[in-house]
Amino acid sequence: MKPIVKWAAAALMLAAAPAASADEVLKVAVFAPLSGAAAGWGLGAKWVGEQAAKEINDQGGIKAGGKVYKVESIAYENGYNSAEGAKAAQAILNRDGIRFIIQGIGTAPVKALQSLSERQGALMMQVAWGKSVKGPQAPLTFTNSNTPFELFGPLFDLVKKQHPEVKTVALLNPNDATGHEVEEEAEKQYRARGYDIVAVTWYERGTTEFQPIATKLAQTHADMMDLSGAPPGDSGMVYKELAVQGWKGVKMQAAGTGADAMVKVGGDAVEDVYMGNAADFGGPAATPIQRKLNEGALKALNEPLNILQLGAWDGLMAVKAGIEKADSIDPKKVAKVLPTIIFESSYGPTAFGGMETYGYPQQMLVPIIVTQIKHGQTVEIARIIPAELEQRLAKKP
Amino acid sequence: MGLIAQLLVNMLQIGAVYVLFALGLTLVFGVMKVINFAHGQFFTLAALMIAVTMPEFTERFGFPAWVDYFVCFALALLTVAILGVVLYFVGFERYLRDLIGSFILSVGLLLLLEGVYLWIFTGAPRVVPKLLTGQVSILGGALETQRLVICGIALAATFGLYQLVNRTKLGRALRAVAEDREAAMLQGIRYRRISFYGFMIGSGMAAIAGGLIAPLTAISPSLGNDYLSKAFIIIIIGGLGSIPGAILGGFLIAAVESFAGYFLDSSYATIAMFMLVMVFLLVRPQGILGHAER
Repeated sequence: MKPIVKWAAAALMLAAAPAASADEVLKVAVFAPLSGAAAGWGLGAKWVGEQAAKEINDQGGIKAGGKVYKVESIAYENGYNSAEGAKAAQAILNRDGIRFIIQGIGTAPVKALQSLSERQGALMMQVAWGKSVKGPQAPLTFTNSNTPFELFGPLFDLVKKQHPEVKTVALLNPNDATGHEVEEEAEKQYRARGYDIVAVTWYERGTTEFQPIATKLAQTHADMMDLSGAPPGDSGMVYKELAVQGWKGVKMQAAGTGADAMVKVGGDAVEDVYMGNAADFGGPAATPIQRKLNEGALKALNEPLNILQLGAWDGLMAVKAGIEKADSIDPKKVAKVLPTIIFESSYGPTAFGGMETYGYPQQMLVPIIVTQIKHGQTVEIARIIPAELEQRLAKKP
Repeated sequence: MGLIAQLLVNMLQIGAVYVLFALGLTLVFGVMKVINFAHGQFFTLAALMIAVTMPEFTERFGFPAWVDYFVCFALALLTVAILGVVLYFVGFERYLRDLIGSFILSVGLLLLLEGVYLWIFTGAPRVVPKLLTGQVSILGGALETQRLVICGIALAATFGLYQLVNRTKLGRALRAVAEDREAAMLQGIRYRRISFYGFMIGSGMAAIAGGLIAPLTAISPSLGNDYLSKAFIIIIIGGLGSIPGAILGGFLIAAVESFAGYFLDSSYATIAMFMLVMVFLLVRPQGILGHAER
């Protein structure tokens, strides 16, 4: 071989080497309902996951073990039920070999996926509200937004201060895993604050006629109605029918994720509803990245962003920080370092905690945002930084 | 008295739409011997069309809300009619009186159409602007004025279909085909043509029900699923293929939903409906007003 050819070949190999590294692709999954009543959450999470992957790729990818990984976010339909969830779990873990799930939505499908992901060593970020999802028995499962266990206490304290006249509460929840987990915690927290629970009622998801439910609730004459885990559209319908039937009182949707659909459906009847899991990511309290994502979501999905959807961004950012800290894409190594790091989420610097509640530090520590519907808009009335996060940030070198 | 009146009012308003929806399904079964699982998609499409077009009309022309509503309602009926013609000639015509073939076809269409609606209209719930404000009290039971009016229209549409089936030549042909296809054909009735008419009338009833429910509920691509499952319960209890049976079954199911929903729980009311179906299937499989298969 002529020397010039040798040099050219060597130069080509050198040029090709970094390119080969940069071409490594790390596939991550969004596991969410993409059809049905909860499709809005899933379609939003899919879009947010793609934006997070693009952001990371634009910044040069994820670096670990001497390699650079480009991220590809793929969405899987979990149908918001365990049967569809189990099917999607097979596709994610066995067919496509994905080892990082950046967002899982829905308690029932998340539990179905978790039964495989923990055994197969895959790391999952999710928003299932059940306490049983976390703990030392599930070290690879993390939660990327607040759940009733973080939200309800501070929210109910605030409402009690604002409405000392309220003595009785009626609860309505969907009759499924999510609804039962939410109800249990809500009832416990209300009773701890001296409220009298006058009714605990259930309805099936997919219900379209809410007058009988509203009649039952109205007849309890409760001072406060909490539709905790009901989707916003259903809550709007119930409050509308309650108004027709003459009920007046404090309106609460403790685990409510967004006002938009509730206002559209319920109109004036949902004025003043308190929500514990909603946010105005276009408002002044939002961070620049949250505002940018919210604007993008409005254009792409015709809907403002909610906390569950934003979890896909924070989930991927946590995974990126964990991989880079562990210097490995081994999910077990990443899971081990996650509770030790402080990383940049869409809310700002954050960390994982929740040891006291769950027995293992798997809960992303993000602000508790209490909102109320005022003139049809979501208005933030309090942003409570978790004490554990404040302590962690104070210790940061 | 106030509570019982409220429960009765709830029953009537829910039942009026259930009946309309179930009538279409039972008519299609009676004439074509096809169980159309995609029936709810006509209902959903009509509601979605009104929800999408009405705000546009209101913004462009500024007519009173009820004028926009009826124009958009007509547009929705036209859209459903086009979809009905396409589905009939592309699919259902090949599976007349074929329960298994039509089952597979209609379940496939149900999934396909729901996916298409989701793609076109997105999953976010939509609402139709209020047509009439205010509310009325009937013996102490409260309901919105617009709900009362819509309930009246639904009952009128049910009466209209009943008259059509019982008093017109087309109605007689539909009944004859449902009763005994061969005998009807020997009398010179064109079975395929009557099947097509039956399918279109059935789809039209679903579209009318969807159009009427549009101002009263949150509309999403999965709206029809709840009504479809209730309609199956209704027509099994009332009697497959029986028009009076669908009316009776519709109000019976609405009564269960209203009274059991109050005295037990909404979830128990759903269980009670399925229990009722099981009892009927065991004790009287032909339903209250259906005929036993010979």
